[in-house]
Amino acid sequence: MTDLTGVSQLLNKVSDDPVLRTALDRAISSYWKKRKQVMERYPYVKELADEVRRIKEWSIDHMDELLDKAIEAVEAKGGKAYIAETAEEARKIVGELVGTGKVVTKAKSMTTEELKLREFLIERGNEVYETDLGEFLVQFLGPKPMHFISPSIHLTREKVAEFLKDFMGVEVDKDDVEGMVALVRKFLRDKYFSADVGISGANAFAADRGAVFLIENESNIRLSISLPPKHIAVVGMEKIVPTMSDAWKVVEVISRYGGYKVTSYINTVMGPARSGEGDIGPEEYHVIFLDNGRREASKDPILKQTLYCLRCGACQYLCPVFGIVGGYWAGLESAYSGGIGVMWEYITGDKETSTQHAFACLLCGRCIEACPMRINQPEVLREIRRRLMERI
Amino acid sequence: MDLKAVKLLLEKNAKKTWNPLGVKEEYCSMWAEGMNFPERGEVLLYTGCLYQMIPYIDMFARLLKGFESMNPALFGIAMKIKALADSLGLDTISLLASLEISKKDRERYFRIVRSIANALLSAGVKFAYMREEPYSGVLYHDLGMDDLFREHVMRLAKKIKETGARKVITIDPHTTYMLNYLIKEFVDDFEVEVVHYMDVLLERGYTPKVRGPKEVVIHDPCYLARWNGVIDQPRVLLSRAGVKVREPEFTRKFTGCCGGPIESLFPSLSSKLARKRMEELKETGSPCFTVMCPICLTNFQREARELGVRVFDIMEVIE
Ligand code: SF4
Repeated sequence: MTDLTGVSQLLNKVSDDPVLRTALDRAISSYWKKRKQVMERYPYVKELADEVRRIKEWSIDHMDELLDKAIEAVEAKGGKAYIAETAEEARKIVGELVGTGKVVTKAKSMTTEELKLREFLIERGNEVYETDLGEFLVQFLGPKPMHFISPSIHLTREKVAEFLKDFMGVEVDKDDVEGMVALVRKFLRDKYFSADVGISGANAFAADRGAVFLIENESNIRLSISLPPKHIAVVGMEKIVPTMSDAWKVVEVISRYGGYKVTSYINTVMGPARSGEGDIGPEEYHVIFLDNGRREASKDPILKQTLYCLRCGACQYLCPVFGIVGGYWAGLESAYSGGIGVMWEYITGDKETSTQHAFACLLCGRCIEACPMRINQPEVLREIRRRLMERI
Repeated sequence: MDLKAVKLLLEKNAKKTWNPLGVKEEYCSMWAEGMNFPERGEVLLYTGCLYQMIPYIDMFARLLKGFESMNPALFGIAMKIKALADSLGLDTISLLASLEISKKDRERYFRIVRSIANALLSAGVKFAYMREEPYSGVLYHDLGMDDLFREHVMRLAKKIKETGARKVITIDPHTTYMLNYLIKEFVDDFEVEVVHYMDVLLERGYTPKVRGPKEVVIHDPCYLARWNGVIDQPRVLLSRAGVKVREPEFTRKFTGCCGGPIESLFPSLSSKLARKRMEELKETGSPCFTVMCPICLTNFQREARELGVRVFDIMEVIE
């Protein structure tokens, strides 16, 4: 437990990997350029971010109350709501809803990664496809989603071209990114139509209307949740905010700080399709509210700020340590990455490993500057260290 | 690195010398010999000893990196032997600290501190200075060793109080932050005003002279720029002296870390971070870097030769 040799060897090894370094350098410099443009073009987002911080603070302090409202709203529209206290409970609920021998399309979601849901469903004899291009690559190339917004940040286009060539059995030009996207799209198109279940996470959840908000750029999310007859949304309890208008603010801040001038699509789902009104969409809408450590963390004065995290990925792009080791920081077993990843893992997963990884933080504070919520990661990570150092 | 061994070591060194590396307090004040500062006064210069400790930090870092670069199996065994040696009281770091640091090695850093003191004097600031100056304790806090940190800063606060100071001038970012914010969480009645020396110089309208290169690329230390908000001050001082300043891509509040803070637990990673940052600085086209923090200084310095650059503390560029 107190021996950091393993962590140090892992981080050292990957920081020497030239492919990882090239991939990270490219992604980070492109993010930084985009971020500066976004901040210039939408100067009001800083204030909007401050407002969202207040919304999140209030929401985390009223988590139980909002949860009741959210459940009521989902059921009022004919959806079904569930509370999962643990990862295991969540898997069990999804497992029963999906069954076996089914085809499942998935929207990119860190919370389902936390549950290792894809692996679980495949093990139970289902065919599962990630439909976000980056996440699709991670499904087949591993080792895990390496960044909140850009899960395949560790892969160069050269690597991706090589993989697609083998996977699809066609010639692929490494400089033709559009072409590669089109290839995967074509492969997935058939899957959407044959899928029995679509699974998503949520970028935000509006308690007043029972609505899931999902941001995307590739239109894969709308296909994966509206074509199959069943939609299951897995929502971390920290995602719930009081109103639709709050949720809109949250998604705007996420997309701006994620480096998007415009996000192509924002989906809101409020319930199953109503027959006879000409709606298309799934007949079943299931929302699973996931606790898995969140309620306890919401009562911890220091850990609590982790729950304000919108998972925009800004801090990961701008963290110096992340810049040379990528998502390996927080460990390969953790769905989460970077300093914020260590914090999420500490709350939702393996406390021991995340504590070891907490010692790799520089406490330099660039993440605070990057973060729309101004989350003080150094403070939280130091606290995690303290809890260990106190008892050894 | 084993945290238990690290903890034991720091505790033991602290017990003996009140310093994590076993550096003695007389040594911290040695730079001021012959300068005849009073021991008591309204205003106190408190260096926190970080500049003076650089040669020791440097030796320690090289030693750790040596350990780390061993093959993994050997490294594990080495750490176990080390932990065992430590538990038997044969602690390697004090041993290291007792080695005589060469005069030349320490002179450079003593000179930086002296030149800060001289600038303050020329600006008309009168101040007291402790004969045996204690370390600040920040490393304990960074590692989460709050009990040791509390004990350390309670003594420090008492010592500062004994000088009769109502105002403390600090010279490095970490000590400044500690005295401005952290100490208040641990010591109830710490009510002295804390100012960074650059603020004092600016307040006095001080115009420095050039002493080093006429053009430099500026590296904002994380703790100075982000945690203490000291950003414009070094730029103003440099420009008053007529030194041309180049800005890297990541600068001011978005400055990049030198890697120093994780040096004691992840030495190799730390030097890779230093290199990465130094490459960003080099891209500005200037091979002369200026920093304002002893940790940045030593961490960059170790990589400087291989990268073909020179690293200066700001008080080596101006005086
Ligand atoms: S901690 Fe802040 S910057 Fe990092 S992902 Fe969360 S919201 Fe974004």
